[in-house]
Order: sequence, then C-alpha cells, then structure tokens
Amino acid sequence: MLKEKIKDHDDILEQQNKVVEDIITVRKITKDNAVFSRTQGGFVSLCYTGDDSEAKEYGRVAVHRCFPHSDPTHYISIREPDGDGREIGLIEDLNELPKDMREMLEEQMNLRYFAPKILKVRHIREEYGYSYWDVVTDKGACRFTVRMGGGNVYPIGKNRYLINDLDGNRFEIPDLYKLSAREIKQLDLFI
Amino acid sequence: MKTLKKTVPVSVMAGLEKHGVSVDSVRYAVCADMDNDGGLRNSYLLVTQTKLIFAVSDQSEEMVFSGAAPAKYRCPEGIGELYDYDLKRLANPKIIDQVVGGLFAVDIDGVETWICRFSGAKMREMRRFCTALNCILTDKELPEETDEDVEYCPKCGMPYPEKGRNVCPKCMVKRTIFFRILTYFKPYRLRIALIFVCMIVSGILSAISPYLTGTVLYDKVFAKDMAFTESLGIPGNFVLALLLLVLSSGLVMILQQIVGVIQGRNNASLVPGVVAQIKGTVFEALQKLSIGFFTRRQTGSLMQRVNGDANEVMGFFIDGLPYLLYNVFTFLFAFIIMFGMDWRLALVSFFMLPPMFYVSYRLLPRLWHAYGRRSRTVRTLYSVLNDGISGARVVKAFGQEEYENRRFEKVNDRVRNSEIQIVSYGNRFEITYSLAREIPNLLVFCIGAIFILQVPGAFTYGKLITFMNYLGMMQGPMQFFSHIFRWWSGSMNAAQRIFEIIDAKPDVVEKENPEYLDIKGDIVLKDVCFGYEPNKSVLKNIGFSVKAGEMLGIVGKSGAGKSTLVNLISRLYDVESGEITLDGVNIKDIAFSSLRGAVAMVSQETYIFMGTIAENIAYAKPDASRMEIVRAAMAANAHQFICRLPDGYDTIIGSGGRELSGGERQRLSIARAILANPRILVLDEATASVDTETERAIQESLEKLIKGRTTISIAHRLSTLRDADYLIVLDRGELVESGTHSELVAKRGEYYKLLQLQSKALAMRGVGD
Repeated sequence: MLKEKIKDHDDILEQQNKVVEDIITVRKITKDNAVFSRTQGGFVSLCYTGDDSEAKEYGRVAVHRCFPHSDPTHYISIREPDGDGREIGLIEDLNELPKDMREMLEEQMNLRYFAPKILKVRHIREEYGYSYWDVVTDKGACRFTVRMGGGNVYPIGKNRYLINDLDGNRFEIPDLYKLSAREIKQLDLFI
Repeated sequence: MKTLKKTVPVSVMAGLEKHGVSVDSVRYAVCADMDNDGGLRNSYLLVTQTKLIFAVSDQSEEMVFSGAAPAKYRCPEGIGELYDYDLKRLANPKIIDQVVGGLFAVDIDGVETWICRFSGAKMREMRRFCTALNCILTDKELPEETDEDVEYCPKCGMPYPEKGRNVCPKCMVKRTIFFRILTYFKPYRLRIALIFVCMIVSGILSAISPYLTGTVLYDKVFAKDMAFTESLGIPGNFVLALLLLVLSSGLVMILQQIVGVIQGRNNASLVPGVVAQIKGTVFEALQKLSIGFFTRRQTGSLMQRVNGDANEVMGFFIDGLPYLLYNVFTFLFAFIIMFGMDWRLALVSFFMLPPMFYVSYRLLPRLWHAYGRRSRTVRTLYSVLNDGISGARVVKAFGQEEYENRRFEKVNDRVRNSEIQIVSYGNRFEITYSLAREIPNLLVFCIGAIFILQVPGAFTYGKLITFMNYLGMMQGPMQFFSHIFRWWSGSMNAAQRIFEIIDAKPDVVEKENPEYLDIKGDIVLKDVCFGYEPNKSVLKNIGFSVKAGEMLGIVGKSGAGKSTLVNLISRLYDVESGEITLDGVNIKDIAFSSLRGAVAMVSQETYIFMGTIAENIAYAKPDASRMEIVRAAMAANAHQFICRLPDGYDTIIGSGGRELSGGERQRLSIARAILANPRILVLDEATASVDTETERAIQESLEKLIKGRTTISIAHRLSTLRDADYLIVLDRGELVESGTHSELVAKRGEYYKLLQLQSKALAMRGVGD
C-alpha cells in the first residue's frame, strides 16, 4: 500500500519534471546539429541543421560566454551579430566540439574578452584620486590609470582580480599570490 | 590631412614611402593600439586616394593609456606588417563593439572582414575614422577634422586623467581654489578672527606651563633663589612662593579650558553655516544644469560630491587651518624659548626632529589605510546582516539559513582579521614612533646632563626639565606637519570638484532675449538629427508635423529613439542639426518658462518627491487650491484610493514615506499633468508597467486629459494608440513609416507587421482585443 503510494508519487514527480523541461527548451548546439567555419573575413559562420524548423545559415555569429570568469569553456552562447543579438543556441561544453571548431570559437572569444594578464607590477602610485599603474602583461608592457574610490578593482574568483581603467580597458591578475611580496604590497590599497 | 603628423610618426611615414605609399596622398589616418593577435603595439590605418592601408609597427614598447604620462623616449618605429586594400573593393565600414574596445571591419568584395583591433582607449578615434572612411567610400564630403582628442595639461604635459574633465590633479592651482573658498567665509569674518585669537592665546598659554613647572619650580623655588622671592615681595617665604606657583599653574589651566570652550562654541555655530551655504550653492548650480549632465555622471557620485566634498573642504578650513596656526605658534614659541635657554642644546634637539617627522609621514597613512579597510569590511558585514534579516522571508522560504550562516561567518572573519591588522599595525606604528621620539629625547637629556656636570652654573637641573618639556611640545606639531599637506591637497581636490559643478555650463541654454509665447501646440520637426555621443546618432533626419489639438502616436521597438525624440521636443537636449518649431517659432528661441509651462510629461518612470500626496499633485502648480487638487485627482482616477488612505491627501509619500503601487504612482503623475494643464502633453509609455485593470482606469483618465491638447503618445501596445490622428514608426533612429492607422494598415509595412505580431500574441494568450 505504502509502496504503491510512493511509486505514484515518484511518477507524478517525474511527469512534473518532464513538463518543466518541455517549457524551458534550451536550443543546444552540438557537433551533430551545427557546423562552424571560418569566414574569409576572420569571423565565424554557422550552418545550423537542427531538427527543428529553424535550420538556417548564419554568415557571421557572435560568441558570448555565459560565465566568462567562473566557467569560460561551458555555456557558450551563439548569437546573431546585429540588431538585438538574438540567441541562436547554447553550446553546453566547448570541449565536445571538434578541435578546429573549438579553436575558431575561442579565437572569436579572445577578440571579445580582451583582458591582458598582469605578469608583473612595476609600480603603482596613488595620487589625488587616481592610481597610476605601470605593469607588464602577457600582451606587452603598459601604463594605465584607474579612478580610485571603489568598484574598479574587484575579485572575480579566488585570488583573481579584474581591473577597469579609465578607457574601459580591462586587466586581469590571474593569481595574486603568484606575484612577489613587494608587488602584493603595492596592490594592498585595492584588495 | 592636417593632423597627419600628429597621428603618424615620421619614421613610420618613411617606412610607408618605402612600401610605395606616398604620404601626400593620405586623406585620413588613425593610430590604433593592437596588432592582430592582441599584442599591445601601435598600428596605423590610412586612407590614400586609392587604398586603405593597415600597417603594424615593428616596435612593441610599452603602451601608454589615458592618464599616464607619455614616454620620454621612444625608439623610432618602423613597419612590421603592411596590408593594403583597394578602395574600390570596399564598402560598409563599421566598428564591431567588443567587451573591451572593438574591431574595425569592412566588406571586401562583399565579404565582411575585420581589419584591425583596438582597445577602449581608441574607440572615439576609430569611430571617427570609420565615419570618415564611409564618407570617402560614398563620395561624401569628409567631416571636419577635430583636434580635441587627448588634451594635455599645459603646465606639466601630462594628459588629463579623465576625458572631458580638463583638470590636472597635479597642477591644479590650489592657491586660487583656496582663496575662492575663503570668500565663503567673508560674512563670518569676526568669528574667524575669534578662532585665530583663541588658537594663539591657547598656544601661548600652553607654552607657559612648562616654564612654571620646570625652571621656576626647580631653579627658583626648590633651589631657594632669594632674588626670586624678593622680586615677588615675599623674601624667604618659599612655601608661599610654591603656593603662588601652584595657583598660577592652576590659573593657566583654567584659562586654557575657558579658551577651549569659547573656541568650541564658536566653531559649532560657524561650521554648519558655511557648510550649508556651500551645499546650497552647489545644489542651486545643479538645478541649473541640463539633463545631460546628470545622465553623464552617476547620480550617486553627485550626491556624494555635494555632501562629502563640502564636509571635507570645511574640515580642513575649520580644523586644519587654525590647528596649523596653533601648531606653528607652539613650535616657534617652544623653539625660541629653548634657543634662549641654551642655543647649543636647542640646535641639537632641532636636528633630532626629522626622523620623527619621517616615521609619522611614512607610517601613519598605512594605519589610516587599515582603518579604512576595517570600515569597508564592517559595511559588507552590515549588508550581509541586512540580507539575513530584511530578506528573512526569502532565506526561510528557500531554506538557506545554513548558507547565510556561512556567508556571515566568512565576512565576520574578514572583519576580525582587519581588526587584528589594525592592532598589529597600530602596535608597530606606536613602537616605531615612540622610538623615533624617545631616542632623541634621551640623547638630548644625556647631552643636557653632561652640560650640567661639565659647566656648573651655566645649566641647571630645572632648566633641563623645562627644556625637555618644550622639546615634547615641539613633537606634537611635528606629527601634525607631517600630514597637513596631504590633508590640504585632499581638501583642495574636493573643493575643485565642487567648483566644477558650480562652474559647469549647461548644454541647453536659454537665448538672451527669448520669446515669451502663449503656445497653441503646433509642432513641426525638420530634418532633426541627434546623438548622445559623437558619431553615434540616435535620430536621423526626422521630420513630421502635428497640428494643435491633434494626437501623434510614436511606434517602434525599444531603442528606436522614441523617448529621445520626446526629450528633444521638451528641450531637455538640443538637436544636433535640423530644427523643431512650436507654433512656427524655433524652440531654441522660446523662453524656458513658456516652453516648460506648455509641455508636460507622463512617463513610465514616475518620480514621487518626498512630501504629501497633495504637494506631489501640485508640483507643477504650487499655488493650486485644494479644490483644484481634488478635481485633478478625480480626473486621474486617483481620488478613490487617496480617500481610502488613513491620512488622505496629507499622506506622506516618497523616500521614507508610504509605499504606493505602480498604478497609484502612475495615476498621481497623471493628476500632476492634469493640474499643470499643459498645451502639449507627452505620454511616454504611461501605462506600460501596470496590470490590465489599472491600465483601463488610467486609459480612461488619459482620455479626459488628452481632449483639446496636442498629445504625443509613445506606446508599446498599439491598442493604446487607436485614437491617434497620425502615427509615425521609428526604427533604429529613422522614420520608416507615417500616416493614419488605416493608411498604415493598408500599406502592409512595418506598422502592419507589429500590429499582426501583437494581435497574434494576444490571441495566443486568449485575451483578444
């Protein structure tokens, strides 16, 4: 008697789960229903052959990360490039795509999420409400200026920090504790 | 090209010549800051008569972004890579925005191709380049070259840290600001004088006591100096002399306290007055500014400016300055006395001071920093606490008590750590500072003691004690001097920010001899173009006309420029080109009072000011009678709910007051517009955020309001625009269709599509229309 009840209950639950899944349809892009290819112009095009009626070719697609900091290789949103930028579909795991496609998508994302990684802090000087940074990044040495007063240097993970400068450029400190004690001391003001 | 030399270095031009590019043929050029792999290095885009050229520098020296000083020396750059494209094959240049910076792309033989990357620092220049290339490709005239990009401080050559804020924090003339602030104190001259007198008197008083308790006590009384008692008229009576000494010491102390009290009272009545006056001036200046100023800057930082900056400036003037004077006095006084007592020892002591100054200058800021960190963590703690208590319903509903506990624990740990840090920093500072203070003291004491032993009579024990006391007195001011400069420049910076607001020129200004009109409500727009930022036009060549008393409907997707258009008509912004006329008069010639009196807006965002409901309704007409207010509320269908409130029309609403629902707020703002009785009524999505029933009620009241007025209505729901005499459809800033409802339906264009879409959506939901 009791067992039956539990079974009934489980059935109902399962049914409900199915309903929920039906309501929230995520259009998934996988290696089976999509082919990405490089365009001559350095972008990526998509030939979507999904089983639904919306099979379509896109001359250029925009590639966004849903979790740019915490999970850069999963949940990649493929979107129309112009206008409202409607989502075409979601790639759940980039690693499931063939290597060449993965690489071309990563290229596009590198264009989009440009943030040089700070390898070395040469000098930071704080003066009159601005801080002047002199650093070496993986993209080359540079100097930039950050407005003081909070919000422009913020954590994006354990010991990881993002810095916004006056131009709206972004710089990343991948691991604070990989820097020398002297460098950390200079960063003390922000962290 | 005039600015070519500035954009492209000579060595690069030489390199270009080598590649067969004639420099004279360059029509437009721009410098970007990345190679195609994202490496930071200069790159150049040039348009010649026949070609588009992209050249990457072969040098990758350090990149200098906004705000940083330009490098003193750079290796001459050559050309690393060079690409050229035949202009004939190019079309449709554009900037593709990225999270940071962007891509410059162009169609080559119809294939969209990206040519070059750039960071956020080059966005403006690249946009301008893109516009220019588009003009060249479509055979239009090149836009005028502007040279306003990077502006440098004329004094030190540093670029201004922030674009559009031409203030060099380094060279800011602090003295002028200082004197300008002083003018605010003018009405309080007497009180200011009193502050200074008090400071001087207490300086002198505090300089007296070491002399009494040192030299007089030891060398005159204890040493039984007959001459001393004789000069007092009590020869030999040392007990009485001691008593007198104690009395006079006490008197000095009492005097000091009295001066302190006078000083405190004086300050207390002076400071709030001046602070209030400055805040008032800033607020007045803010009201004068155009709406653009507020949208450009964050409102929060503005509030902080008005408040925090005024306090900071006053802090320096009221506390800093008088204490500076006090400290200078004490310091000089002590030094002169010490010098008079024994110049050799005075000099020795003087040279002992710098280490202390240094220690305090270097270490004290770090201690402040630790305090700052603690207050930040405490603030985080409060917000977590707030989440856990105010959000208790949500926390409990989702059963996340454990999670909240852990979150609190984490922040709590951080607070604890910062407390520990303060203590450890504090200890370290205390120890170092004491050492820096006590070691010189000890040295001076030793030298003094040697003097006493070596040169009997010339130096006495009492003198030494007095001397040491004065030395101690000099050390307080030393610590003060070590950070007064920081204080001064911080407060001048705050003052500068205040004056920036006071001196800011509004973008939209009233003409000198404006026309005062009774506006009927004929609106005509001719070729209106507008953009909030240069090169990013929001409206392109809009033209239409509305006759007085008619209703115009504006339709379009979000971001099409509908609200912007309405902002232009009420002249919150000025058009870039083209003109807007009311009754045939350009709105730029109409007096603000006539214009603003004629136009009223009901928008989706209703703003409720702090005050009673009656005051909120009468906002545009403060002298309205009670009857008028009630009638307006009735017309807006607001009377019913207002009467149900326990305090009726006297209910306090706005921040801190009673919360109203979206529909109620909307109806209040309609009542406000009804009372204002404008000739031109602007409805900007007035019913977008309320439920159907409320919408019907609001719609009803709007219908009453619309009668006989020129109405411009923006709506998502096309059903709201049924009664419009004329409709225009906007798409990405362009007017794509116009006409009456039936004309547009017959046309089967954009409007028809939208209409179909909406009725389909309604049908699907089973609502129907």
